[in-house]
Amino acid sequence: MNARVEIASPIAVGEPLITCIELGHVYDFGRGRTAALGSISLTIDRGEFVCVLGPSGCGKTTLLNILAGFVVPAHGDVRVGGHAVDGPSSERGVVFQDYSLFPWLTAQANVEFGLRMAGRAARERATIAHDLLGLVGLPDEGAKYPFELSGGMKQRIAIARALATRPSLLLMDEPFAALDAMTRSSLQAKLVEIHRQERPTILFVTHNITEALVLASRLIVMAPNPGRIVEDIRIDLPRPRRRTAPRFNEIYEHVARAIGLETAE
Amino acid sequence: MAFGVSRHSVAGMIGTLAFFGAWEALSRSGFVNNVMLPAPSTIVQSAWELILTGELPRHLGASLVRAAIGFLGGSALGVILGVAMARLPLLHGTINPLVQMFRAVPSLAFVPLAIFWFGIGEMSKIVLIAWGVFFPVWVNTYIGVRDVSPLLGRAAASLGARGWRNFAYVVIPGALPFIIAGLRVSLSVALVVLVAAELAGAAFGVGYLIQMSQQVFRVDQMFVGLIALGAMGFAADLLFEHAVRRLLPWYGAEQAGQKGP
Ligand SMILES: Nc1ncnc2c1ncn2[C@@H]1O[C@H](COP(=O)(O)OP(=O)(O)OP(=O)(O)O)[C@@H](O)[C@H]1O
Ligand SMILES: [Mg+2]
Repeated sequence: MNARVEIASPIAVGEPLITCIELGHVYDFGRGRTAALGSISLTIDRGEFVCVLGPSGCGKTTLLNILAGFVVPAHGDVRVGGHAVDGPSSERGVVFQDYSLFPWLTAQANVEFGLRMAGRAARERATIAHDLLGLVGLPDEGAKYPFELSGGMKQRIAIARALATRPSLLLMDEPFAALDAMTRSSLQAKLVEIHRQERPTILFVTHNITEALVLASRLIVMAPNPGRIVEDIRIDLPRPRRRTAPRFNEIYEHVARAIGLETAE
Repeated sequence: MAFGVSRHSVAGMIGTLAFFGAWEALSRSGFVNNVMLPAPSTIVQSAWELILTGELPRHLGASLVRAAIGFLGGSALGVILGVAMARLPLLHGTINPLVQMFRAVPSLAFVPLAIFWFGIGEMSKIVLIAWGVFFPVWVNTYIGVRDVSPLLGRAAASLGARGWRNFAYVVIPGALPFIIAGLRVSLSVALVVLVAAELAGAAFGVGYLIQMSQQVFRVDQMFVGLIALGAMGFAADLLFEHAVRRLLPWYGAEQAGQKGP
């Protein structure tokens, strides 16, 4: 055996977590073809917090679904953690816009679901779920069913559920879009905190420039027809981020122009 | 408003009492033949006698056993075939026209045929009940499994539940509200078919009791039979609801419904 082979981990240090090479997707159904994604090449490193911004229909959800393994791309290559994406996996946690909690399971059982599928012992599952419920600020709601929870609570449970199996990648598709401003900003703070503590790689789709600037370490701006990346910006604003900081506004204006928004005078 | 509720229940009590009081008075008044319309007190008395002689329990027992076996058999088949057809398009394509064809025929119309084929014994009744129960359970199961949220399926898959585990942990629980709705409908179907089959020919059973009582002009006993059937249906529904609430606490909050096929 060669010593160099032995020390080489499956994912070499410095290798990006996500590599997309000339990724394209076309939705093809009888009446017409939609070029949802043109040809996207992209790499994302471990621990990055990437926000994806862009107008409706520019392929954000399509990109996320391809990374999650829900959609097989028409062409191109996707690798996550050194492996070609072949269907969904618990290595890639997903948080959906509509929460998608299992209505027949309690909040705690929802959080434990991935652990149960991984065959972890009941005691261990309960401990992990308990910690996560505390992390998302719902330590006492574990016994409740989703119908007993508010939208913001459901979204926090959904985040805890996605975190439970410690996926190296967290894919979030407009998770806070349906929430009121207060709940939204408290969940943004929670997410930043989780990212600081656990260092997962996060790909977060949003329509909201402010949200992106509060969260992201890197911002990808997309444009439609065909879906493509038009801007890729590192956000080096210090944390905690203040929306009133001049630099914040500078970047805001820049991004707004990039997605073709008429900024307020 | 507690006051309003109690006022309503008092009103309901008065209404019920007035109804039975008037009935009692009418039967005793001589305006109507009290053999044709026996007084409630007479009916209670005959019921008591039928219970003491063991006749009513025997008929009721026979009916219950038939209904239970038929219901279990029919709903098991309905669930299995509903799930299988929703998951296997080829199977669905192959037998759907047949099932739809049979479903279109009211199940009571099969009573004479079933008696001709299986005799007036237990077999014909159980087969008929199972037949009647099968269709609503099948339709609901099929729709429930077919329309299970693909998003929940994705959520589960991204948590490591693929293949059969996705089926067991997501598809089946997701379809459960529909399956339960189908089972509930089938409960009353089972009762209807049971009585029809017993009326058409039997040696035991509540339907048989009603039929026999008619032939010997015991209208009071016919009423006892009717009450027994009502109690049976009521108890079955209550029991079912209780079981659902105990086993599936989340069910009430889900707006489960029946959709057309
Ligand atoms: N299942 C589908 N079948 C056909 N076309 C689709 C499908 N999903 C998306 N599309 C099309 O692909 C394009 C990109 O869709 P996608 O959902 O990825 O956009 P998006 O950026 O997520 O938009 P939004 O911000 O509105 O969610 C759109 O033109 C859309 O109409
Ligand atoms: Mg989208």
